[in-house]
Amino acid sequence: MTVFKAYLKILNKNKFLVILYTVILIFFAGFNMQNNDTGTSFMAEKPDVLIVNENETDNVTKNFIQYIEKHTTIKEVQETEEARNDALFYRDVNYIIYIPKDFKNSFLEGKKLNVEIKSTGDYQASLAEMLVNRYFNVANIYRNVIKDEETLLEMINTTLEKEVFIEVTSKLDIEKFAKATLFYNFANYSILAGCVFIICFMVSSFKEQKVKLRIMVSSIEYKKFNRQLLFSNSLFAIVLWLCYVILSIILVGDVMFTNQGMFLILNSFIFTISALTLALLIGNLVHNKEAMSGIVNVIALGSSFLCGAFVPTEFLPDFVLKIAHVLPSYYYIHNNDLIASLETINLETVKPIFLNMGILLFFGFMFVVMTNIITKKRNR
Amino acid sequence: MLFHNYKYAMKTLFKNKPLIFWTFAFPLILGTLFSMAFSDIEKEEQLKTIPIAIVKETSNQNSMIINIFEHLKTGEEPMFQISYEDEKDAKTLLENKKIDGYLILSEPLKLIVKENGINQTILKFVTEEIIQTEEVMRNVVALEIEDKNMLTENLYQSVYLKLEKWKEENQIELVNISNKNLSYTMIEFYTLIAMTCLYGGILGLYLINQNLANQSANGKRISVSPTLKGKVIITNALAGYTVQLIGIALLFFYTICFLKIDYGENIFFIVLLTLIGCFAGLSLGIMIASVFKTNENTKTGIVIAFTMLCCFLSGMMGITMKYMVDKNIPILNQINPASMITDGFYSLYYYDTLDRYYFNIFSLCIFSILMLALSIRSLRRQTYDSI
Amino acid sequence: MKNVIEVKNLIKEYKNIKAVDGISLEVKKGEILGLLGPNGSGKSTTINCILSLLNFEKGTIQIFGKPMAPNAYDIKREIGVVFQDVAVFEELTVEENIDYFCGLYINDKRLRKQYIEEAIELVSLNEFKKFYPKQLSGGLLRRLNIACGIAHKPKLIFLDEPTVAVDPQSRNNILDGIEKLRENGATIVYTTHYMEEVEILCDRVIILDKGKVIANGTPDELKELANMEEKVNVEVDSITEKQLEEIKKLKNVDEIYYHNQNLTVIYKKGKNNLITLIDYFKKESILYDKIYSERPTLNDVFLELTGKELRD
Repeated sequence: MTVFKAYLKILNKNKFLVILYTVILIFFAGFNMQNNDTGTSFMAEKPDVLIVNENETDNVTKNFIQYIEKHTTIKEVQETEEARNDALFYRDVNYIIYIPKDFKNSFLEGKKLNVEIKSTGDYQASLAEMLVNRYFNVANIYRNVIKDEETLLEMINTTLEKEVFIEVTSKLDIEKFAKATLFYNFANYSILAGCVFIICFMVSSFKEQKVKLRIMVSSIEYKKFNRQLLFSNSLFAIVLWLCYVILSIILVGDVMFTNQGMFLILNSFIFTISALTLALLIGNLVHNKEAMSGIVNVIALGSSFLCGAFVPTEFLPDFVLKIAHVLPSYYYIHNNDLIASLETINLETVKPIFLNMGILLFFGFMFVVMTNIITKKRNR
Repeated sequence: MLFHNYKYAMKTLFKNKPLIFWTFAFPLILGTLFSMAFSDIEKEEQLKTIPIAIVKETSNQNSMIINIFEHLKTGEEPMFQISYEDEKDAKTLLENKKIDGYLILSEPLKLIVKENGINQTILKFVTEEIIQTEEVMRNVVALEIEDKNMLTENLYQSVYLKLEKWKEENQIELVNISNKNLSYTMIEFYTLIAMTCLYGGILGLYLINQNLANQSANGKRISVSPTLKGKVIITNALAGYTVQLIGIALLFFYTICFLKIDYGENIFFIVLLTLIGCFAGLSLGIMIASVFKTNENTKTGIVIAFTMLCCFLSGMMGITMKYMVDKNIPILNQINPASMITDGFYSLYYYDTLDRYYFNIFSLCIFSILMLALSIRSLRRQTYDSI
Repeated sequence: MKNVIEVKNLIKEYKNIKAVDGISLEVKKGEILGLLGPNGSGKSTTINCILSLLNFEKGTIQIFGKPMAPNAYDIKREIGVVFQDVAVFEELTVEENIDYFCGLYINDKRLRKQYIEEAIELVSLNEFKKFYPKQLSGGLLRRLNIACGIAHKPKLIFLDEPTVAVDPQSRNNILDGIEKLRENGATIVYTTHYMEEVEILCDRVIILDKGKVIANGTPDELKELANMEEKVNVEVDSITEKQLEEIKKLKNVDEIYYHNQNLTVIYKKGKNNLITLIDYFKKESILYDKIYSERPTLNDVFLELTGKELRD
């Protein structure tokens, strides 16, 4: 217990640093998720469209707007061009339609009419553009044969209402788990940056004070000392891990208590173990505290970027994903994604998940072996 | 005398490996990671060929639909890759994610997909387009018959030609007036520049710390020497600023030459923003060095944590973050120096007018002055209550 | 010649605790003044006040006959300070460190170069010119610390415990160096809690305790205050209570202590006391190992004045 007490003392001495790090990372994790929830999700099917209407609302204009409203998500921003431009740049909207003045008469009379638009040029913007084009095409054709305004609009609407019967076979509500997965993917960074940094810091503090501590704990042998140090570090890692789990329950709620939620929690626990072993390795390898914070940051940010903690894996280039295979984070994040798309739980579907967990544990094992080799070499 | 100080301050900084790592190497590493992670995001937004299956019901051969789909699977970058299966096989293919969806040519048409997604939406869209065109034709034919009361064999043919003609005559034209520069991943690199500017504060922090008698032993030694305190501090701040600028020049060089980052065209405005951004970082460092009274590591920790927080809010860990903050809590980013720098670059890149750019420059100046004003009391101080 | 330093009635408070409580002192030209006192007695605070690093509640300070102030640069130019904490740049070599600090005083490059050489010579760091502070042992680091403080050949030097935690070789080197500085005409104020150093080096000693001057004089004058003449220490194998009683009654004996086979006999006056004691041992056939006689030390003086040891 002596070592544990000393551990707490050192932790207490550096509480400012520990609290600062932990709070910032937890804050990041929570805030990041809330933000992504309301912002542009990569997978949203309906394009986000902004309509700028300079007309009095007449029937023709209204009909067009209603059509767009039905098939897209209408966004509203401040009524300045700057706000609109910002919204477009940050993909809050994919498409802006400026309905020109005198839209109704120009349309009905078949005059030349330029409709200004702004587009992000991505897939959702093309969807929006297809919708707009379709409306104008259909409307234009009917305008040639139908003169009565009301019949014309009705005809346009009934035609455009013709839809295909669509059946979605998957019973899984991806949206529900998207949030949880997002959180746990981000936890890759939090665990690596927070847990690993603080544990490295503690290991090197103990190494620095080794002589002093040897005297202090002279009644226990060195191996026991190491074991107690490992115990203290593990306890600390688990406490941090619990913080993240509790936070995830607060943020996404009862999803965490489903089978998949449990799998996510288990997966993060196994990742915490391998992160812990990595921390011990770095702590034993590097003694300079400043060099350590650099190394930990590069590792944490590097593996988070390359393995898809910040950017979903489907958006990463193939060569990056290939490189990522050598990092434990890849298997952790890959597992989170697998868990999210887990429909039924049977041997077949769960196998790859456990395989990845096995790989994570193997990484942990390798880190322990490497730590032992290094410390042995150093002692010689 | 001044040069003596300046020279040694520079020497001290360049020999300090952790400082150089954080201000020089770290941004370069981060920039490389960014470009690796984001290189495909915007490319991926262009469409890929979608694998689908079509199930022909023997009773109903909807040739028009098949014709159109056949048309869509040709070309250099075909929209679809199509196989014809019976329903059972199509189901298995879908289950194994070999296809994104399949179409059953029954009446009405049925589209079966596994989940909602981009490809599924496109498939739905194209199918609907076909159905609706069919509907239009049917309606127009009906109207034409009523109108002219004629019935010829090639009625469909003539209607079709008519439709084509009307389509071409379509008077409504979409005019794209969006700005050219729409690559939002640029924001990441702007936040990187912002981060480097603010991290540069660590350099100033370190030097000033060495010069204040109540902060370091070296400071005591300098205080008892017959040198004007202001002179020492200004030369040191200048040295920190110089090293900061060297670091950021390196980052610009690297990101422009190797990562192909676009900072807009006007070099003068870019340089001005960078100079002022670095100065804001420097003044932040000076403020933290002189106002807080803890050890140097904690102070460095404060600068790093503050910088990371600012960069997070200005979109470093997710570009939408900056927009969300701008939209919902604008005040937060109006006092956030990282956001001012990022937004300055953004406005140069995206906007043609300079109002917003000047506003950011102005905010950065205010921020710097505020930081220096906070530190001035402690910097001018020559005797202390306790050391 | 006037006094180099004159401090009158200096009072410095930290949150209602008087760290310096009405200290007055003078330092004469060319002397080495020892400021002696246990930790927390106000030595460093006094020096920091004299140097205008700390503001103080009351008192006047004059150096070279002029009032000292933070911007009294002409005074500061003639002062060299060696602080208790090692104050050097980790990133600069031994030579560069000395050059930097010397450069704060001396602009002439050539002159500075010569001074640096001399300073390095003085503390015998010739072999380590290109070393970084991290590569130096504790003793060498202290020597560098001193070199940084005195390279510009000041007329007045403050040395604040320059020998704390230093190996004997470095200590001798440092003490020799200080001697040399005095030979070159510098006035030195030296604080320490090692009385041996004070006895070797100082012309005059001021003893501080709880922020007050409790004694002021040459080492010999102070030893008079110890109220004893001689102290004899003997290691004895065994001695009876009765024998101890008898020793106490021997001529000139003032007091005796016996602890762990160590006998200490204190004499207030008289000569040949040692012989009397040995004669007694012979007579009683008491076996003894080591026997030596000591003159009183400043520690004894301090003990006498405050009732406590210097090195608490």
